[in-house]
Amino acid sequence: MATVQVSEAEKVYILHGIRDDLRADGRGCEDYRHMEIETDVVSNTDGSARVTLGHTAVLVGIKAEIGKPRPLVPNEGYLEFFVDCSANATPEFEGRGGEELGIELSNMLYKVFNKHCLDLRSLCISEGEHCWLLYVDVLLLQCDGNLYDAISVAVKAALFNTKIPRVHISADEDGGKEIELSDDPYDCMRVDVENVPCIVTLCKIGHRHVVDATLQEKACSVASVLVSVTHSGSVTCTRKVGGGSLDPESIFEMIEAGKRVGKSLHAPLMKLLQQEESLGKRRQKVGFLG
Amino acid sequence: MHIVCVANANLQLLSLVGPFCAKFIPVCSYRTAEPLEYHRSFLKENCRPDGRDLSEFRTTTLNIGSISTADGSALVKIGNTTIICGIKAELANPTVESPDKGYIVPNVDLPPLCSSRFRSGPPSEQAQAASQFMADIIESSEVIRAEDLCIDRGKLCWVLYCDMMCLDYDGNILDACIIALMAALKNTQLPEVTINKETSAPEVKLEKKHGLTIQKHPVGSSFSVFDDSILIVDPTAEEEILSTAQLTVVTDEEGRLCSAHKPGGTSLSGEKLQECISRATARQKEIQKLIDKVLHSVKSAE
Amino acid sequence: MPTDNKRVRGPELSQSPALFACKAAPVAPQQGPRADGRQRDQVDVRPVFVRCGLVSQAKGSAYIEAGDTKLMCCVYGPKETERKDETDMKCGRLTTDMRFAPFSCPERGSWVQGSQDKDFSLMLHESLQPALCLHKYPRSQIDVNVVVLENSGSVLAHAVTCASLALADAGIEMYDLVLGCSIRQDGGSYVADPSYAEETYCSSDGASDQGRLTVAFLPSLNQISGLQSDGEMSAETLTAGVRTCIEGCYKLYPVLQQALIKAVRKAGPPPSES
Repeated sequence: MATVQVSEAEKVYILHGIRDDLRADGRGCEDYRHMEIETDVVSNTDGSARVTLGHTAVLVGIKAEIGKPRPLVPNEGYLEFFVDCSANATPEFEGRGGEELGIELSNMLYKVFNKHCLDLRSLCISEGEHCWLLYVDVLLLQCDGNLYDAISVAVKAALFNTKIPRVHISADEDGGKEIELSDDPYDCMRVDVENVPCIVTLCKIGHRHVVDATLQEKACSVASVLVSVTHSGSVTCTRKVGGGSLDPESIFEMIEAGKRVGKSLHAPLMKLLQQEESLGKRRQKVGFLG
Repeated sequence: MHIVCVANANLQLLSLVGPFCAKFIPVCSYRTAEPLEYHRSFLKENCRPDGRDLSEFRTTTLNIGSISTADGSALVKIGNTTIICGIKAELANPTVESPDKGYIVPNVDLPPLCSSRFRSGPPSEQAQAASQFMADIIESSEVIRAEDLCIDRGKLCWVLYCDMMCLDYDGNILDACIIALMAALKNTQLPEVTINKETSAPEVKLEKKHGLTIQKHPVGSSFSVFDDSILIVDPTAEEEILSTAQLTVVTDEEGRLCSAHKPGGTSLSGEKLQECISRATARQKEIQKLIDKVLHSVKSAE
Repeated sequence: MPTDNKRVRGPELSQSPALFACKAAPVAPQQGPRADGRQRDQVDVRPVFVRCGLVSQAKGSAYIEAGDTKLMCCVYGPKETERKDETDMKCGRLTTDMRFAPFSCPERGSWVQGSQDKDFSLMLHESLQPALCLHKYPRSQIDVNVVVLENSGSVLAHAVTCASLALADAGIEMYDLVLGCSIRQDGGSYVADPSYAEETYCSSDGASDQGRLTVAFLPSLNQISGLQSDGEMSAETLTAGVRTCIEGCYKLYPVLQQALIKAVRKAGPPPSES
């Protein structure tokens, strides 16, 4: 991942600040940086969202396609994730440099956005034969720490924005099934995102942990814990990342803090998304340069 | 200091201390510095560094049916060399060219785990050659009649995925692969499959199982040639590297030659080859006895 | 799709016979004692069989068997690092590779490492790294290879244990052994060290608190080096689960110590001082 070199003096400065609940950019330990969300930014997808968090910028596009359900779960549709680490984000991603990170991120997304949070059965068209397959493509445009949180918010926003055309199944003469797409472009199905979790990354720095670490702060931390939390406060996925180990007590504290922060993230996010939706066509598009 | 020892420790010293004193320090460094000379000094005395004589196999042990997720499995150890073979049976459509035949898909995997010489990634050349060798033996010796694997002509047949994985590479993997494959095939139990007349969909009765009919019992014997003339059987990894040529002879229970595989190297006289074949025939009997004995003990334990 | 001409290929499409089974496979019981006779809601881990130093070619190796789960791990190195471009040469590099034998799961696996295997490798890496004194091995690389021979649940947890044993057997300097333990939370109750059926079983009634948790733990330092959970659990359940896993790790600890002592004894008596 994109890393920065931090000198010993800088490290001490950051560590002492965090000890006193005051971070280098003026935030407290459980504060996020300024976050910008815009949905419906790419017109040729079924749902899309752009999120910037500090200088971290991600774009998520969702394409719905009709596919065959997996043989083990014939009555469910499924999601496919692909994370593209563009060389725009950091020169380290040039060539195949971003591949490993991309696989790591997409594996995590598979685990977080599974059937516990989405009603995958609503994506089924006819059992064992056809289902909706959502291709979720994540593009990293700029890396400035805390990728997981930004991506999860962007995926949630894009899922909220996704409009899947309604289909009707009619039987033809031979008893076979035929899929008909609705003529009305506004006749579409929405994905219920209420239960979709957000990831909160907690970085252990010194004896405390911080939310939404910048690259400089991350360089001072030995290990972090990812916690994905739903609006009701239940934890769907946790994972320790980084090369250090943590003592059990601080893990429990971090899970508790993750739950608290994550829970408070959902309500304003949903409000924002609904507000934007209600504006409809009147909304002024900002785009990437705004 | 050791280097000085090596310079002095010539063959005379070795013949004095005898070949079994491998822990003697000069011998140890001699082995690393001049491996070929080290081996030659043993071969001159008609024995090998591990104490075997030239035509002696390492101890061969066999464990059958230890993997319950596989339909058939076997683990073979020849000395240190360890091969595990697991067979998974799946259902597929037969090809148009041979509608009454099933598939047997043997693959040898040499993962980075088994030796530092292998890298992860696609199969190495050696693994590819070994896989092809196993496929050739299955085909040429007709271990199983491909027709036996057919369930419904032109519609449904069995595929036997035979995956052989090396867990410890110390030479002579081909012999071990053949033993592992044969033992695993004899251990394989396939569920009963019937075709539903109305829906023409297959119906599998997992609780009703039957074994495979094994037609032939090929067993391989590998040899290494040292200095174009000395023939040793069952080479270790070190011997394989130092030898000038290698040869694998596969024979079945009737003493017929199924395959003679000699990938390049120095030439070998007809008499020597004849010698190899007769050694291989004797080995075939030993191994078949071993497989039967282990299978019997597995069955009686159930 | 490019064809794979480095292997003996079978038909393009084949399906597991279990998909066409007349009778559904028996499901793990949800209440009462577990299929293998162990107790629910207790740290009833399967007895493990461990052995060190089996592979002649490796610097260190270990084999672990817990119930039907069978794993093997080999350690190679420290050797010269392959990547020359890394700027930080003061520390050694740890590489992990975990793969499943094609016959190890009820469903046949593919030959090519899937993204799941890579994910396991990564988690193995994160769990092991905190225990290694990598600063003692500058400019070098230590390779850890794990092969799953049979998957009967809790694979990652046992892979961590097995790999740390193999590292110790290879004589790599470590702060502590790393032990792994996992649980499956099923509503109000949990099962420790779940089997494959218990692990993959999904409850149909959409009850809350369904999830899996794996913890890697350094027992003498009391540190958690790996944590991984999925499913939906409340924070309290998760915390309780982590405690359960730690308890499970402590149960394994003496067994592993014995195995290591045995391996060291077998390797020969210590050289005399003279």
